[in-house]
Amino acid sequence: MPEQAPTTMSNIDAGRVTSRAGRRLKAPEWGALLLFLLAEIVFFSFNSPYFLTWPNGVNIVTALSITGILAAGGTILLIAGQFDLSVGSGTAFVALSFALAAQSLGIIPAVGIALLVGVGIGVLNGFLVTVVGVNALITTLGTLAIFRGLTLSIGGASSVRVTGFDWAIARPFFDIPMSAIVFLLIALVVAVVLSRTIFGRTIYAIGANENAARLVGIRTKRTLFFAFVISGLCMAATGLVSASQLGSTSGTTGVGLELAVVTAIILGGTSLKGGTGSMFGTILGLLIVGVLNNGMTLMNINSTWQQVAAGMLLILAVSFDQIRQRFIRS
Amino acid sequence: MTEQSFLSVRGIRKSFGPVKVLHGVDLDLPRGSVTALLGENGAGKSTFVRILAGDHQPDAGTIAIEGVETSFRTVVQSRDAGIRLIAQEIADAPTLSVAENIALGALPSRFGFVDRHAMREVARKALDALGADIAVDAPVSSLRLGERQIIEIARATAGASQCLIFDEPTAALSDAETRRLFTLIKRMQEAGVAILYITHRLDEVFAIADRVCVLRDGKVSLNAAIAEVDQAQVVTAMVGHAVASDHYRYEFVSKGADPLLEVAQLGSEHFEDVDLTVEPGEIVGLYGKIGSGVPEFAAALFGAGQFDSGTLRLGGEAVKFGHPAEAIAKGIGYLPADRASEGLLRTRTVAENLAAPSWTRLANGPFVAPGIEANTFKKWHSVLKVRSRPDGSEQISTLSGGNQQKVLLGRWLEAGSKLLVLVEPTRGVDVGARQEIYAVLRDLAQQGHGILIASSDYEDITEAATSAAVMVRGRVVAHLTQDQISTERLTQAAGGGAHA
Repeated sequence: MPEQAPTTMSNIDAGRVTSRAGRRLKAPEWGALLLFLLAEIVFFSFNSPYFLTWPNGVNIVTALSITGILAAGGTILLIAGQFDLSVGSGTAFVALSFALAAQSLGIIPAVGIALLVGVGIGVLNGFLVTVVGVNALITTLGTLAIFRGLTLSIGGASSVRVTGFDWAIARPFFDIPMSAIVFLLIALVVAVVLSRTIFGRTIYAIGANENAARLVGIRTKRTLFFAFVISGLCMAATGLVSASQLGSTSGTTGVGLELAVVTAIILGGTSLKGGTGSMFGTILGLLIVGVLNNGMTLMNINSTWQQVAAGMLLILAVSFDQIRQRFIRS
Repeated sequence: MTEQSFLSVRGIRKSFGPVKVLHGVDLDLPRGSVTALLGENGAGKSTFVRILAGDHQPDAGTIAIEGVETSFRTVVQSRDAGIRLIAQEIADAPTLSVAENIALGALPSRFGFVDRHAMREVARKALDALGADIAVDAPVSSLRLGERQIIEIARATAGASQCLIFDEPTAALSDAETRRLFTLIKRMQEAGVAILYITHRLDEVFAIADRVCVLRDGKVSLNAAIAEVDQAQVVTAMVGHAVASDHYRYEFVSKGADPLLEVAQLGSEHFEDVDLTVEPGEIVGLYGKIGSGVPEFAAALFGAGQFDSGTLRLGGEAVKFGHPAEAIAKGIGYLPADRASEGLLRTRTVAENLAAPSWTRLANGPFVAPGIEANTFKKWHSVLKVRSRPDGSEQISTLSGGNQQKVLLGRWLEAGSKLLVLVEPTRGVDVGARQEIYAVLRDLAQQGHGILIASSDYEDITEAATSAAVMVRGRVVAHLTQDQISTERLTQAAGGGAHA
């Protein structure tokens, strides 16, 4: 099958059908996400008078800023057909490196070290995937374990305090904290990079067909390596945000973030196969989960149930998409 | 003629969503006859045979087996009626052995366990009938494409079939394999099997079929005994109008210009001692069947493959590319053999696919301005006669094979490549679009491009090339001037060394 040209009748027919219907359904496909988000908002506004207020809106965005920063890097990777599962433990390891360095060297050198550690994790992942050729899922599953283990063994059981580094909770404009502003800026940059730059084009091209991308002159490995480094940079950012928000860091910082990140990206319409997706979609995905969690908290629903809801939401969204595609085909 | 038909279908209709694929197809398959089914891509051939195989259900119409009306809701029901489809896409289980693949779906068993001895016996017999020398215990993944196609055929012919449907079976086969397949088909025909044979190749139709049926736009546009029609009639029935096959010749006369490409003694594990030059304005055809090393040689020129010995000169300068990007920078464009796996950026737009190698030039620093790709595409839309929106805003996967190929060719025109290395430029491209592609190539040569066509389809060479070389098992066995190029010379040269 892989060696065969795609020109059998049925493929072409199916292609025509999906595309024609796809054209019609393109807008509603995004619309579906938006609609769902609106439905959530309407539902929770009726259930809590506090829900539809400016401070609560700020809360929602602030709560998803760490997940969002990582999802920005993750969107680039998933569009290129790659994964990074090491983002949660990477965040914890960056935060610990920063906290320890800050105690002995001071804040400014420690920020530099945090950036180096984040980039280092990205370089390691990128090296293993593009130079050694280990599958990204396995590579980052391995580095997930390694950096979680390192964080726990170096940091010990207790948390490490960070003092004099509370910039992320400062609220310079409209009562919005810096952590949310950093997220929004990074999301904006990634959105522009993906839709308006050569680098973004090459990311989509690699995700669409890595072979073909190489044959139009794209340095595919170099590009993928760089995408992993971007993900590492995002970990550096989230490590710093996390340490600043909490004023400390511990072995459990960032546990499970990788799942929240992947959930948001896929919910936002990026295909696991790569080649499609956008930062705007990811933001919608983040908001859908974020609003759900926030609303449930306001309704006094236990946070453990929020996990159940987020998991069901992901499966529902993807099943819905599968069913819709099958419906279009037949 | 219909009273003795094994299979007889009437008024088959099928739509996929809003798209009507078949509108009322009638066909009879008599026992002991070979019916060729032709039609351009999109005419409905594959949908039609999938209905016969029970893979799709018709919206209307009847299927009768020996006069008894029936319906196939599953592939198993169709197979139980004696119908076997040898699909174009290979659907094997690569990790299983040859014998297991041939027996797939009908594993011989004893006491509920697979009878491995009987299974290997069945496989060996089926392969012997095809004259194929393939070890039955080898894993299928270790075979080459043509051999895997033979396994598919062996699986269908191993059982007692009443009706065999071949969907372009020879696309991946060598000459010798094709001849053996034809012998097998003749034997099946003599044994009273009803055979439906889908192909793009008119020479095959006239070689083995006794009836020909042409589908156009989901309807039968020609259904006749082979003796009653000639090639031109068949082509007209396929495309709906007469195709100018005046064999317009583009004559190339060397002006003694410095060659764009000079290859001397090039060698690798796939080819050796290949010498070749391409001058501006020249279209060099390099002909070779599977295993000839032609595609590997072409890939090595572009840095998509390797060469170990010899020299490669571009415009006089000795080069060796480690990555296609280096070749592109030196003015080479490359059309890969397999559009799906090496050419198309499937999820992206037509315009983006065309602009891809030129992004750096079109961009403003790192930024690609919105609309610049659409504007770039507009330039080539009419030049290449691409049937798409003028701004190329739809996904490339929605275009037909021929139009996709034009877009992939357009890539290198926009990139300003002087030397075009085209591997299998018309594979999976239908008759009308083929001629358009040849016309574009002649125009490009006239404008001073140098073109190398590396192909296993002799029509590419006879229609477009101004000189040709034939490769067999990695070596050039013949050089032909434009006047010497003919189907006979090419196949003779390619066959001569291969099975000697």
